[in-house]
Amino acid sequence: MRQTKTPAVQKVAIWGVIIVVVFWVLFPFYWAFLNSIKKPADTFTNTYIPFLQFQPTLEHWQAELAIPEIQRAMMNSFIISVGAATLAVMLGVFAAYALARFQYRRVDSGRLTTWFLSELKLLDNVLSLVLLNATFVITFPVIILSQMFRELPRELEEAAFVDGASMFQAFLRVSLPLIMPGVVAVWIICMAFSWNEFLYALSLTSNQAIQMPVMIAGAEHTRGVQFWFVGVRVLLTILPPTILALLAQRYIIRGLTLGAVKG
Amino acid sequence: MAQTASTANQTATNPTGRPPSKSRAKYFFLSPAIFWILIFTIFPLLYAVYTSFFSFRFGRFNQFVGLENYRRLFTDPNLHSALRVTIIFVVVTVTVQMVLGFGLALLLNREMRGRSVLRAIMILPLFATPVAIGYLSITLFYEANGPINSVLRVFGYGDVPWLSNPFWALVAIMIIDIWQWTPFVFLVSLAGLQGLPIDLFEAADVDGATGWQKFWSMTLPLMAPTLWLILMLRLIEAFKVFDIPASLTLGGPGRATEVYSLFTYRTALRFFDHGYASAQGLLLLVIVSIIIAVLYGRIRGIYEVER
Repeated sequence: MRQTKTPAVQKVAIWGVIIVVVFWVLFPFYWAFLNSIKKPADTFTNTYIPFLQFQPTLEHWQAELAIPEIQRAMMNSFIISVGAATLAVMLGVFAAYALARFQYRRVDSGRLTTWFLSELKLLDNVLSLVLLNATFVITFPVIILSQMFRELPRELEEAAFVDGASMFQAFLRVSLPLIMPGVVAVWIICMAFSWNEFLYALSLTSNQAIQMPVMIAGAEHTRGVQFWFVGVRVLLTILPPTILALLAQRYIIRGLTLGAVKG
Repeated sequence: MAQTASTANQTATNPTGRPPSKSRAKYFFLSPAIFWILIFTIFPLLYAVYTSFFSFRFGRFNQFVGLENYRRLFTDPNLHSALRVTIIFVVVTVTVQMVLGFGLALLLNREMRGRSVLRAIMILPLFATPVAIGYLSITLFYEANGPINSVLRVFGYGDVPWLSNPFWALVAIMIIDIWQWTPFVFLVSLAGLQGLPIDLFEAADVDGATGWQKFWSMTLPLMAPTLWLILMLRLIEAFKVFDIPASLTLGGPGRATEVYSLFTYRTALRFFDHGYASAQGLLLLVIVSIIIAVLYGRIRGIYEVER
């Protein structure tokens, strides 16, 4: 919507709201960071500025990163989320192309799209003990990428056909490279979601395959609440998906609304 | 992948220069994903239906009990308590998220510096691992000297029993859920608002429409499909909430924050009552399906693709 002239009072009010919102959103992250660099005694004081109010330390980071279980959980989380994302994107990109390019007589593409939608939203709880992350996130590549394939001009592929390319060659050499940025972004979204997934991780793993979210959930009961360890572990868990999400920003709205709203 | 490789060989040459036949290709492209989903969702679903007719005790099939597990759904007070907690949670969090998120989007839908930075900041909660946030919240809501009570103490409302009082524990998990998902409503609403046709609003300005008139007769109707979509996605996710209660309050104190999914999880993996847990899962499936059935009609338009 076009704004003609924003009065000064309104401007101040808007910036006030923005500051409150940013503070509200960022405070938990900052709180985790603060605790991760405080000495245990300092965590019981209400101090918020390192160096000025307390002397920061990296000892908890060093201690936590040296724990073999933490290393293994990080590794597991990494392997599982990369694997699930890659698998989902590989399967999804073909389905996305198919939905974008072909008509299916008995079930129209709109309905198929809906079916993929319902797969994500309906079933993951009921089947939590059996489903895998790749199945859980496959909706993202299918929906987002089919939208992107649809937006590609068809003439490009038709030109390839004239040059003697097969359907598959046209897909692989012409269309796929053009939507590669989208593929990468979708892969990132899938990876972040698999990383964050907790219910299957908790239900299906016991020892060897434990991932960071499960590791964190178990910690409080064996150790009590030690603010400094909470800080380090929370950041270790949160940072990978949030940093990845920032890289895929442009596509995230589409991803989360299953392609319905352009971000 | 072997499948697609063989497709490539079969259709590798295309000397005619005409668009190749689509009939085979269209199934080759679609079938891997369809099979994958069938294997990992339909079969487990059928298995869940099957197990819901049996009683499981001591880790093995005991006997066929017919509809007994479904009858228990209607008589189990613990289930009803979980359902009530979940419904309160859903109604409060989704309402607050919709109002705050859409309100913020309306307020910030204008040319301004730093909008991309703001968007980046708002994405962070959506991707912050919910379990980790729940775990972190144990320290945030720490009753003796956590930051929240410390701030409240300045205003004279010191010792809120966040995690030991049934009412406040529920409020605590709601606050965290609102923290995590209000940005989602905001970001999607903002994207929707920016897709609205500007010239329509300019025409209204020329006609001397007031802000309220524009909001009620243009913004709101035009945004309705997007808002229904957000509402549907939020309702579904909220009904399945698990991670935050599981890590912040463990369903306690008592059963005050034992949401539906947590209850089902415990039925299955703490008490190994798989038959009953399957019946519970199917009931949730029905609830969520009803939400989709009711709301999907309203948002259908934005999924329909122009050809």
